[in-house]
Amino acid sequence: MGTIQISGLKKRFGAVAAVDGLSFVVRPGTVTGFLGPNGAGKTTTLRMLLGLVRPDGGSALINGVPYQNLPEPSRAVGAVLEASSFHPGRTARAHLRIQAAAADVDQSRVDDVLSLVDLDGAAGRRIGGFSLGMRQRLGLATALLADPDILILDEPTNGLDPEGVRWLRDLLRGFAAEGGTVLVSSHLLAEVAQTVDSVVIIQRGRLVRQGPIAELTADGGGLEDVFFREVSR
Amino acid sequence: MTRLIRLTRVEWLKLTSTRSSYGLLAVSVGLTAVWNILEASRAGTGSGPDPLNTFTGLREIVAGGVWDLILAAVLGMMISSGEFRHHTATSTYLAAPDRNRVLAAKAITGVVGGGIFGLAGYAVACAVGLSFVAAKGYPVVIGASTFVDWGAGHLVGGALLGVIGVAVGSLIRSQLAVVIGAFVWSIILETLIGGLFPAVHPYLPYTAATTLAGTALGVASFGSGGGASSVAPLPFAAATGLLLAIGVVIAAIAARTTVRRDIT
Repeated sequence: MGTIQISGLKKRFGAVAAVDGLSFVVRPGTVTGFLGPNGAGKTTTLRMLLGLVRPDGGSALINGVPYQNLPEPSRAVGAVLEASSFHPGRTARAHLRIQAAAADVDQSRVDDVLSLVDLDGAAGRRIGGFSLGMRQRLGLATALLADPDILILDEPTNGLDPEGVRWLRDLLRGFAAEGGTVLVSSHLLAEVAQTVDSVVIIQRGRLVRQGPIAELTADGGGLEDVFFREVSR
Repeated sequence: MTRLIRLTRVEWLKLTSTRSSYGLLAVSVGLTAVWNILEASRAGTGSGPDPLNTFTGLREIVAGGVWDLILAAVLGMMISSGEFRHHTATSTYLAAPDRNRVLAAKAITGVVGGGIFGLAGYAVACAVGLSFVAAKGYPVVIGASTFVDWGAGHLVGGALLGVIGVAVGSLIRSQLAVVIGAFVWSIILETLIGGLFPAVHPYLPYTAATTLAGTALGVASFGSGGGASSVAPLPFAAATGLLLAIGVVIAAIAARTTVRRDIT
């Protein structure tokens, strides 16, 4: 369990082909970086994978089925897509209680994940007063609430301080070491290079390179060199 | 069914976990109280309602201040369009990808919340009206069964306007637009349409809800103002059916259009 399979995925917004026949597979036990320049189609791909955007063609499957057909989606996938998707007037604890109820998860998990992301001291504060980093941590707490097999994260290090970045890196590597699947999009290539096992690089909605990071950098160049070489072709 | 119950509980938790819901209820109750105190003070003076020792005078205070009904609709709009105002639709649909089921859960929450608004407003209106009657030493000229009927009307009218609010807020995602639209529709458009086409007046949704709640057609505290109409209001069952049908039709249109849109 925990396989992501994208096959011939397509999405147009008007005249723009945001995703154009994209295919790749992410397997359990790995942290995969999802890379591409701005406008490459990363966020659209992740949103199609999560059932938020309807594909024009192809398929985006989790454990062999579309996200919306998963029996308990929150138990299969935890996702962090944007740091602003919280009601500002709600407390962190209230937000997580609602998410726990939606996922049919025991309310005791709320305090567990608050402690895990180091937000237990701010649990009673309204989210409107949170910093970007605190919102990212709350998003991660939400994603981890139902103890999913897969984590899908869109720019999760935005707003995190260096300690938070290291904490996230350890969390993701530990999650994969226990058999979990992680797909993480990021612009921070140096950070990605330290965290991921393999990368998927896309450009203009198409796959330009996929493989283990050790293989891609075997010629002695770094991930940054590989990235710029691939996206400039 | 189990999932719908779970999602309804989730929607109720959302509604009760922010101050804006309680604030709107406080506004509803406060407006009803202030409006009805002012109206009761003017009763029998010639420029206001009939004296409170008459059926029409006391009715106008007890059943005529229907701020609770329009604010029940606003509550419903907040339940649905609030997801887009605060960008929480993403987390809602990640947890529950079946969007029609989410819409159904929101509609049920709108029923409960709207019903509470209707009952709370009616309780305040009764308290104001009966306090003035007692202070003036008048007999209560309205029978207990009529009070119960109007209470049921406020409950049902509030609940169904709550559903209509959820449906409209699902169809039009801009919360500001739908809330302004609710007031414009109730205060201006229904008055205009009702004045120009009296036969249609009882079938207009806000008017139907106010008559359900016991207000004489054309004398609601705002919106349907302009004097009592000679046209008969809809019977209770017909008004209930009409409001339910309006809510279901708008919700069905929303389910086939905006609710299916991409969340980008």
